[in-house]
Amino acid sequence: MLSKADNVFLTRAGKGTPMGELLRRFWMPALLSEELPERDGPPKKIRLLGEDLLAFRDSNGRIGIVEPHCPHRGANLYYGRNEECGIRCAFHGWKFDVDGNCVDLPTSPPGSSYKDTIKLHAYPVREWADIVWVYMGPRDHVPELPQLELGLVPASHRYVSKKWQDCNWVQSLEGAIDTAHFSFLHKVPTKDEKAKLEIFRTTSAIGAGQELQDRIRWVMDDPRPKFAILGHDAGLAIGAARKTDSADKYWRISQFLMPNHALVPVAFPGDVYHGQCWVPVDDVNCWIYTYSWLPDRPFTNSEREKYARGLSLHAEVDADYVPVRNIRNDYMLDREKQKTESFTGIMGVSEQDAAIQDSQGPIQDRTREHLGPTDVGIVEFRKLVMGAARALASGEAPKAAGSAARYAVRAGGWIAGPDKDFATVMTERFGHRHGYVGSEHGLAD
Amino acid sequence: MLSKADNEFLTHTGPGTPMGDLLRRFWMPALLSEELSERDGPPKKIKILGEDLLAFRDTNGRIGIVEPHCPHRGAGLYYGRNEECGIRCAFHGWKFDVDGNCIDLPTSPPESSYKDTIKLHAYPVREWADIVWVYMGPKDKMPELPQLELGLVPASSRYVTKKWQDCNWVQSVEGALDTAHFSFLHAVLAKDEAKARAALAKAAIADQATPDDRIRWIHNDPRPKFTVHGHDAGLLIGAARKTDGPDLYWRISQFLMPNHAYTPTAFPGEIYYGQCWVPVDDKSCWIYTYCWQPDRPFSNAERAKFDGGFNVHAEIDDHYVPLRNPRNDYLLDRQAQKDESFTGIVGVSEQDAAIQDSMGPIQDRTKEHLGPTDVAIVEFRKLLMSSARALQTGAEPKAAASPRRYAVRAGGAVAPPDKNLDAVMTARFGHARGYVGQQYGLGD
Repeated sequence: MLSKADNVFLTRAGKGTPMGELLRRFWMPALLSEELPERDGPPKKIRLLGEDLLAFRDSNGRIGIVEPHCPHRGANLYYGRNEECGIRCAFHGWKFDVDGNCVDLPTSPPGSSYKDTIKLHAYPVREWADIVWVYMGPRDHVPELPQLELGLVPASHRYVSKKWQDCNWVQSLEGAIDTAHFSFLHKVPTKDEKAKLEIFRTTSAIGAGQELQDRIRWVMDDPRPKFAILGHDAGLAIGAARKTDSADKYWRISQFLMPNHALVPVAFPGDVYHGQCWVPVDDVNCWIYTYSWLPDRPFTNSEREKYARGLSLHAEVDADYVPVRNIRNDYMLDREKQKTESFTGIMGVSEQDAAIQDSQGPIQDRTREHLGPTDVGIVEFRKLVMGAARALASGEAPKAAGSAARYAVRAGGWIAGPDKDFATVMTERFGHRHGYVGSEHGLAD
Repeated sequence: MLSKADNEFLTHTGPGTPMGDLLRRFWMPALLSEELSERDGPPKKIKILGEDLLAFRDTNGRIGIVEPHCPHRGAGLYYGRNEECGIRCAFHGWKFDVDGNCIDLPTSPPESSYKDTIKLHAYPVREWADIVWVYMGPKDKMPELPQLELGLVPASSRYVTKKWQDCNWVQSVEGALDTAHFSFLHAVLAKDEAKARAALAKAAIADQATPDDRIRWIHNDPRPKFTVHGHDAGLLIGAARKTDGPDLYWRISQFLMPNHAYTPTAFPGEIYYGQCWVPVDDKSCWIYTYCWQPDRPFSNAERAKFDGGFNVHAEIDDHYVPLRNPRNDYLLDRQAQKDESFTGIVGVSEQDAAIQDSMGPIQDRTKEHLGPTDVAIVEFRKLLMSSARALQTGAEPKAAASPRRYAVRAGGAVAPPDKNLDAVMTARFGHARGYVGQQYGLGD
């Protein structure tokens, strides 16, 4: 439970808010690369952390993310011409490059130096891992890009998409690191084991093969996993241990990576790794970047098609990346199916998550919640981000921003003896107590 | 005319407002029973007096009206599972019964008593007269249900539905209490008798025994003389018009605290109609429309006629939204307005809605000019506002403690000119205030 003031502190990300300032110390996904496919193509309006911005790819393929209004008379550059290495305002022809420099000011005489005094505000941009990243913080604190394994594997080994969500980013992220909800929200109540497995196989991250039947059953049968948490330089490793048929424990281990990534707890060695990144559009909407990767092999075309149709955390989205099943159509909830086929009557794990997270309200009122032992991951997450935001407000830069290499971690599942502690389980599963795999990609130990 | 402060006082009903506190001392219609038709069926999101709530019917047929967010993490229980005598949150399986008790908390160990400390806020609910009623006030002040005659007759003798309206509830109630507007808003212009009858087909007056007289009297006397008398449950409002002879034609309505009104039309043997306004928020309301007959069941043909929109009953879609509404300009036909009806809008209910919505989401009463035919509106405001003020100083509303006094009728009568309203009422209903409770064993 949070006080009203703390709830505001945690959830507001606009310019000048403590949490907004913390987020601005990290690189944020601004677009998918595919949203700006062409050089000199149409510019794109975007909104991030409550700021309206304009993105365009210039004649050389470089991307600019700039304030949307021309400094001359405030006309929107979205209506401008993206040509010859710059965006030219449609009103009076003022032209700016991706760094915001004014490269032509035709309303002044050719000899005038007026244009050198004109600057369009532009944020630093990087293109990496099929994502366009933007840094919206102070220029003297630009960090390295977080070295997510997603970007360290070849492009053929990853799949990246995104989905719109109609609520504050924090409650959605909290839904991801609360792995206890899987025993309920994604439950398949049908007694028909074969049908059940088929539903999981086609819709969820939890399983893709026969041996996974056990794991599904363990998740369903133990709604009170025991949580254990290990902090590290980039975030938190969050373990949840459930009972199995023997004395062993079934561990589902996720990662929270500062300030807005989470990796899912499902993959055994050889399986696909999945993660998500929440980017506030404003305080009541967010983009969720959803990504998957394989350390050892490329994705097949049929795997890519499956993701494109919606699977696991990838939603089934329209051409604007808005989920087909969303709050405006009640997620196509089918009450009859809710009685027989799934706990919610909503198709898709991603859509089930979205429905329940949106239903907490545009911004969840945390003054009324009642947290318990299975919500430890959430409590630790809040401590970490709120502590970092408070520290930053008193002048202390976030450690994670200066630890780019430490983002090269994995998350996943493991079966371990009952006496093993979390650090031991991590080392068994990943070869490192924090799940670090940077050494495999030429990063330091 | 009201001051700006008084206008807000009268029209705002959110939690903590004086008028909201007053309304919360009475049972409010929350849903029609038919909206929760199945046990363990889909729960329903509702909004009343500015509060978002969730309604569901459990395995035993009982109805719960509860806060919509799970106390655990605030997930919407609307997405939950209504099964085995409770609603179970889809997020982590916490389960609550219709009284808001937490009856399963599977994320805690079975032996834990944590669940006994968790409570979902739930309001008292009653199902009566085909309506689901909710009481949203302090538990120790909960009154009995108002004994409307609608609920005292057999189910076969009543018809109940509702309609959405896009304005503040008060101006819509005021429209119903102002029976003078019938000489204008609902006037029929067609000279051709068949056309005139067609235009009246959806009006209450069309099923009268001698429609032509009464319609002519209403049409010819736009300045009825009003008499208003208070009683324990509300106000009796009489309006006398000239007839062809020395007699007066009385149209007598009832206002019942805090939000019911009966129509003034029924002669003996005719159908009685009433409405109840329930604020959704300050700019929209549900109007429950109901009719009953003391002496016989409704025929299927009559029910079908009501379903298609008739008198106070609007022609509505599956969500109880009138087909003719502000989003389509009430399908106003300007040609029909020239030669068939005063408004060019089909339906008495729709004519009322159009004119009431047109006053604005909340009528600005600082700019109105009331006259002698608006007496009932003045008395209604006095009663409601003084009750709300009295409640703020600790005096409970008398009407809430007088449920039997709601067993009244309203209707029409023709009487000699020397009879006052008391005498007209006694002749028409056997009681000066229209009380008929003794016929149902409620005492004199």
